[in-house]
Amino acid sequence: MRRLAALTYYEPITLSAAIGLLAEQGEGTYPFAGGTDLLVQMKRGSLRPTALVNLKRIDGLNRIEGRRDQGVSIGPLTSISAIERSSFIRSRFPVLAEAAALVGSPALRNLGTVGGNIGRASPASDMVPSLIVLRAHVRIEGPSGAREIPIDKIFIEPGRTILLRGDLITSIVLPEASSHSGAAYLKLGRRQGMDCALVGVAASLTLAGKEQEVEEARIALSAVAPFPLRARRAEGVLRSGPLNAKRVQEAAAVAMEECSPITDMRASASYRKDMVRVLASRAISRAWAMAKRGEEGP
Amino acid sequence: MKADALYVGKEIPRIDGLDKATGRAVYSVDVNLPGMLYGSVVRSPFPHAKILRIETSGALRIPGVRAVVTGKDFPFLFGALIQDQPFLAIDKVRYVGEPVVAVAAETELTAQEATDRIRVEYEGLAPVFDPQQASAEGAPLIHEHLEDYFHSDCQILPKTNICSLHAYSSGDMDLGWKESEEIFEDEFFIHAVAHSPMEPHAAVAQYGPSSEEFTLWSATDRPYRLAQDLVKALDISFDKVRFISTFSGGSFGGKGALVAEGLAVALARFTKGRPVKVVYSREEELTASQTRHGALVRLRTGVKKDGTLVARKANVLWDNGAYCGFGPNVARRGSRTVFGPYRIPHVELISHLVYTNKQPGGAYRGFGTTQMTWACEAQMDIMAEKLGLDPLEIRMRNAYVEGDLYINGQVLRSVGLKETLERASRAIGWGKSESRKSGTNVRGKGLATTIKGTSTPTDSACFIEVAPDGAITILSSSVKIGGGQKTVLAQIAAETIGVPLSSISVPNPDTRLTPFDFGVSSSRTTYHMGNAVRRAGEKIRERILEIAGEILATDPACLKLSEGKILKEGAGEQLSLKALLAKKFGSKGGTLLEAGYYTPEKSSLLEAPPDRKGMSSIFWMFATHAAEVEVDTETGRVNVLRIAAAHDVGRAINPVGCEQQIEGAVILGLSNTLFEEFKLEDGRVLNNTLADYKIASTLDIPKIIPILVESPHPEGPFNAKGIGEPAAAPTAPAIASAIFDAVGVRIKELPITPEKVLVALREKGQR
Amino acid sequence: MSVSIQLEVNDESYQVDVEPGTTLVELLRERLHLTGTKEGCGEGDCGTCIVLVNGAPVNSCLMLAVDAQGCRVTTIEGLATDGKLHPLQQSFIENGAIQCGFCTPAMILSAKALLDHNPRPSEEEIKQALSGILCRCGSYQKIVEAVRAVSGRVDPLRGTPGQPD
Repeated sequence: MRRLAALTYYEPITLSAAIGLLAEQGEGTYPFAGGTDLLVQMKRGSLRPTALVNLKRIDGLNRIEGRRDQGVSIGPLTSISAIERSSFIRSRFPVLAEAAALVGSPALRNLGTVGGNIGRASPASDMVPSLIVLRAHVRIEGPSGAREIPIDKIFIEPGRTILLRGDLITSIVLPEASSHSGAAYLKLGRRQGMDCALVGVAASLTLAGKEQEVEEARIALSAVAPFPLRARRAEGVLRSGPLNAKRVQEAAAVAMEECSPITDMRASASYRKDMVRVLASRAISRAWAMAKRGEEGP
Repeated sequence: MKADALYVGKEIPRIDGLDKATGRAVYSVDVNLPGMLYGSVVRSPFPHAKILRIETSGALRIPGVRAVVTGKDFPFLFGALIQDQPFLAIDKVRYVGEPVVAVAAETELTAQEATDRIRVEYEGLAPVFDPQQASAEGAPLIHEHLEDYFHSDCQILPKTNICSLHAYSSGDMDLGWKESEEIFEDEFFIHAVAHSPMEPHAAVAQYGPSSEEFTLWSATDRPYRLAQDLVKALDISFDKVRFISTFSGGSFGGKGALVAEGLAVALARFTKGRPVKVVYSREEELTASQTRHGALVRLRTGVKKDGTLVARKANVLWDNGAYCGFGPNVARRGSRTVFGPYRIPHVELISHLVYTNKQPGGAYRGFGTTQMTWACEAQMDIMAEKLGLDPLEIRMRNAYVEGDLYINGQVLRSVGLKETLERASRAIGWGKSESRKSGTNVRGKGLATTIKGTSTPTDSACFIEVAPDGAITILSSSVKIGGGQKTVLAQIAAETIGVPLSSISVPNPDTRLTPFDFGVSSSRTTYHMGNAVRRAGEKIRERILEIAGEILATDPACLKLSEGKILKEGAGEQLSLKALLAKKFGSKGGTLLEAGYYTPEKSSLLEAPPDRKGMSSIFWMFATHAAEVEVDTETGRVNVLRIAAAHDVGRAINPVGCEQQIEGAVILGLSNTLFEEFKLEDGRVLNNTLADYKIASTLDIPKIIPILVESPHPEGPFNAKGIGEPAAAPTAPAIASAIFDAVGVRIKELPITPEKVLVALREKGQR
Repeated sequence: MSVSIQLEVNDESYQVDVEPGTTLVELLRERLHLTGTKEGCGEGDCGTCIVLVNGAPVNSCLMLAVDAQGCRVTTIEGLATDGKLHPLQQSFIENGAIQCGFCTPAMILSAKALLDHNPRPSEEEIKQALSGILCRCGSYQKIVEAVRAVSGRVDPLRGTPGQPD
């Protein structure tokens, strides 16, 4: 199998030291979290780092910190499997745990991190659609300071986020979910086993007390655009009147129009488009059912 | 057949299970020798091109590089049937991934960095990827000098891309069409798939400069076959090649030809005696080893209105890829199974094997049967529907029974076909009316059946050796490729001789020490090597009883050997085998050694008209798969719920071993059918990783119900036949049949993808 | 540049100098000669390289050796204690769960990690836990049966029944 070339290696123990190294060393120096994407890219030759900055010796970046009624802050080096198994996440933000359970395979989830997943900026990320519908913000720190940005705004194109050299994601913040809200993530692959999503749809609904009244709706699609995106017009349809099966179908059809999938070796654009409609309809229905049951909330 | 068998027919755990469960088993990828170098390969990025220039100086400058070898340095051709394949491309390349330059270096990293520095200049030639285009007039010639290659046993058409033409007919086709009451014409396509064993191809080769001998460590399942191929290619004598077999991490047919071995040999020739290890990356495994042959099948079949088959004409076009390997045999023997396990009085077959600029086709579990069964069984269903017959009924009407004649006139013995049809269909609840719809999901059931023979005649030989303390060794060249070969042979020996299974060891083959075997392929090991072991075992038992007779001053006819103890009629246990040999040999020591040789060549079971006798098989295997599926009509996804797989094995010497083979083959067949395909762009495989070349995981499998049917074979060891090869053949058509039953759409081209199902549903107006 | 690391493999302490680009699977197979762990693809797609690091299954082909600093690594060679097979090893052998055996070490180790936390898993849970390991021989059904046969017989968070952690 492919062997990795010689490289320089750093193990900073503070965030500022890591940021400093990445900013100073410049091109060829890469941050290294779980490694599950980075090492694959290195072996295939699509990335050729001359130096790696291992982030895992920095304390405090892999915690899930939930505060009562104040949402949760997830460290970027939190493994996907820690999110999958966290009883806090499973009870308060179950869709995120469900999405985490669909990433790769159990052993990959033990290595991969949520920060790495986001930073990889794969159009087919399983974590990002759920984070979008959970209204996640990403905290970024870098040479020019810190900022917090809604997660759906950080992607530029496949493989690229707004993070510049020296920038690191330092936490992913989810606001408290209101009661009477529900969310679901559905993924379509070619097989049931470990698979890159052909289409992924996350949906969240917050009801305004009455079962048919939608206070807030979010729909996020993955694998059907250059990056995971919100289907805002479809969200609008859900908010535009009393919710029923017909409106769900309508929203799903609109979501289908909002995406721009490509034909690649995995699936054709037309099939992906069709499946957005099918999955959106199913995800919205499931989120609605959960919201009616009041599954989320304290 | 022993009524009170101790080992045959019993659930015996594999005797190599311990090595595998503890990590002790050494596979070809694990071999590590002093002074070993590592190989890496530069491969062609073009499907068809002339090689203009190779620039290797960049590689030679890197410290630690010990050899750089091109086709000009090692200009030999190999090939089991047509010697058309260079170890390293010589003047042109014929598929993306073809090896062009090989490097040996002190470390893997160095070897890889060295290959990165090598520059090859090509001049593109027009490629051809479709066998129909490749066989048309004016197609670019892939092997311009086809007629110059040494070839055996196949009809080539020089100055074309057709490297094997086979035609066969029996009966009277005109009469057949006249007697038919309905005629069906259909075309079917089955795609190429990868073997992708979990252990990639790997080999270590060492060349002793003064001895001029090549020693190889390899997981090949046919060490003697590969030795013969090397001997022919390099024009050396047999004693200059030695294959030492390691454990094998799966073959499925792909390790029966020179792959990593050839490259290791080419490098070892130039490393002054240092061994060289070549391990294929997963990408190389998927794109540059071998594939199952894709095929296009046109069937014209005449039947009576009650479903009785009358005549069939089959045109088969096989996609060979760039080099032949076993292609001509697949195209000849495999093609015949297009007639299915059915009585058809009038048959005609025309089969073409055609070169294309793609990864070479090779032996793949089923050896052509899978492809032909796809077409044959799909058409049986089409005919059943039109004639208003149940798919089970039409098959039962035509199915072979004991005493029927095969298409060449051979009388069929040991035919458990109908029992496989009955039991598989019953296990799946065939004919039961059950609720089928649930939301957007619809369920259906289907079945398919298959026939496969074994390569006949082929030879197997073994030695059985008894050490002075009674420990028994079977020296055989049957490689353990995961099919339980070692355990079955030990069971046969234990049962035949009369000793505990634990006293038998079956070391890994070594062609310097273990005698010739045709190879582990064609489901032949239990039968052929099993018979060789039985013959040797009987002689060993006789010899032991003879010695016992001497020592006990008794007529050997009154003595028995059971579980390692000599028993005397009416007088009970006399002494143990160990004690007997101690008495016989004393401190000087000695051995008992017998040979067993088996070939079916002279068997009366093979009788047929002289010009067709070559088509007879010493045994025929039959199997039926019955599948239940659930189709999601919104996504087109097919979920296979369960598959009942009934296989006629003659006699199940190791029932658990048989179940393993059946379960494994069902999963292979299902995976090939629903998840696997090569996505090609200009001859390049785009999905060259296991992330995108998708193989079934634990979450993708149905409930598998293995069913063993035993229809005793008169000449098999304990009446056994074989199992491994045909096992994957009926899976695809059974699934397709079930999809039709569920949602009324007929898929005639594999693979079955959700998109295809959805498109077909739409066309049917069922959305 | 070489980095000095210290780690425990199968209860034995090692101090080795490694290149940063060395993966854990290379360290185990080539430096420590523990070839029970396999490398079927190098990219995390096949699972045959899975070992336990601090009790959790990871793809050792995607873990750098430097990240094993201070860790407890368990490979298949470390499962039997004092010559006595782990119940999973015994069960795999007895239940026909092994054909070619190439995926067997990864399957057994992953199953062990599952049982260590979930002593009585359902069939679905077993399949999920093993979903990242490909078996081309198609032994899945018997592998799942072999794991089920052991469930309830292995104390959680221990290797063999009755052994202190």
